Amino acid sequence: MSARILRKVFLFCALTAVVSVVLIFIFVAVKGAPIFATAGFTRLFFSMNWDPLKGNFGMLPFIVGSFIVTLGALVLGAPLAIGTAIFLSEIAHDRIKRFIRPSVELLAGIPSVIYGFFGIILLVPLSRMLFGGSGFGLATAWIVLAIMILPTIAAISEDAISAVPPVYRMGSLALGATRWQTIKRVVIPTAMPGIVNAVVLGMGRAIGETMAVLMVLGNAPSVPKSVASPASTLTSAIALDMSYASGVHQTALFAMGLILLAVSMVLITVVRVWSGRVGR
Amino acid sequence: MLKRASASLFTFAILALVLISFARPNQAGDRIMLAGSTTVLPIVEAASEIYNSEHPGERVLVQGGGSSAGIEAGVTGAANIGMSSRDLKPGEKKLGLTDIPVAVDAIAVIVNNKNSVEKLTKDQVRKVYSGEITNWKELGGLDEEIILVNRDEASGTREAFAKKIMKNSSFAKGAVIQPGSGQVRSIVSTTPGGIGYISLGYVTKDVKAIALDGVEPTVESIAAKRYGLMRTLHFLVKGEQKASVKSFIEFMLSDRVQREIVSKEFLPIKVVTGKS
Repeated sequence: MSARILRKVFLFCALTAVVSVVLIFIFVAVKGAPIFATAGFTRLFFSMNWDPLKGNFGMLPFIVGSFIVTLGALVLGAPLAIGTAIFLSEIAHDRIKRFIRPSVELLAGIPSVIYGFFGIILLVPLSRMLFGGSGFGLATAWIVLAIMILPTIAAISEDAISAVPPVYRMGSLALGATRWQTIKRVVIPTAMPGIVNAVVLGMGRAIGETMAVLMVLGNAPSVPKSVASPASTLTSAIALDMSYASGVHQTALFAMGLILLAVSMVLITVVRVWSGRVGR
Repeated sequence: MLKRASASLFTFAILALVLISFARPNQAGDRIMLAGSTTVLPIVEAASEIYNSEHPGERVLVQGGGSSAGIEAGVTGAANIGMSSRDLKPGEKKLGLTDIPVAVDAIAVIVNNKNSVEKLTKDQVRKVYSGEITNWKELGGLDEEIILVNRDEASGTREAFAKKIMKNSSFAKGAVIQPGSGQVRSIVSTTPGGIGYISLGYVTKDVKAIALDGVEPTVESIAAKRYGLMRTLHFLVKGEQKASVKSFIEFMLSDRVQREIVSKEFLPIKVVTGKS
């Protein structure tokens, strides 16, 4: 009797996630779909002209912005994170590890609005000094996001590297390889699927980040011309406009949400397919 | 078992009742609802505190949402009084709203304190914001790139600026966009080539307000109607309102509130219109 009830209770818990995903998809799609009929595909995705109060909903600046911001964050953040992971699992002594690992974990727990503050107070003046402009722009957003995705990538990469069987390393060292050769030729190739997985998850975090980006990117609805130029991403544009948008404008924001959802679904699928194939 | 379950259900029901009674608005007393512009909000909040303490039977409730939301709330009756920092658009004038001006604000064009430029014409400001002029040397300043700081589209300040300065030109797309006057001031104060526009009430020593067409934005120049970038802050009501709403509007326009509260942030409405 009680076992059957418990079963139901836990089934209910598990179904919450499924129902939420389905509901989110349906609502965003239903709310966003009408704009494809009114404005047309080309005028949405291939137009640079975002001027919602005049009825122009070109989303290309935001799509390009999201892409550039994410790519830059990965280029800066991924090597840093993978380096951290290698150091923690292969090189560091226990005493140093005990100091570094909690710091990395703490980084993952900091709310994004705090990263935004950090960006405004420290990185905006720095970027202004180095690249000119107002300091609100690509360079600042890249650095903030690179630090934000560091713990995600580092933690998952470290797991992957630690999972490489010790006999591999011993075999390599016994053949006369140096420690560096062992890391480069044996450990990293073996852990590669896990590392790729980590980078893709970091990418997901970078694409979806909203608050910190909104605070430091400058929010200009245009394609940036230099590393100091302000820009907008899909997420920051939605967050900035949602408070007052109505009618077609609101529909356009939902359509942008739909694009974001689609991109993250593709990312998750890539990870699943990749890790499934390699794991076999 | 059953007894315990029913006991916990009973406790739950009591808790729910307590919560609901908290959530329900206080029906006792006469409520006056205001909603809309965040520019107008601070003076109304300050006035409502005094009003509430002096009229124990009545309760003034104020919330933000922006000028457009305020006009909407006035039309639908969601609020007794809508607050707006922009004029009604032609379409909105047909909706039967009575427009009651409560204060006058000036929008100041601000630059960094290190900037040598002291004055600009409206035409120059328009060319700067439309992206035609991109360097301060074209305006008699140093050879330095102009960093545009703009407001978001929900802003009544942006709306007024667009109407009075931009006319038919579009804003340059590459400007930094910030959601509040405080942020605009903060960026301009730290960026040597920066330019922005904010309500006069927000201007501090951290930035330099520029003379527009030769007139500096001061309380005197606004009072004389010489400054070219002014706007009226409005109350909007629809139809005949109950006595308490009328009494609050009167209170807002009274000499005391206009002198003690409105004049700290803006210009009292009577100085400009000359009404007594």
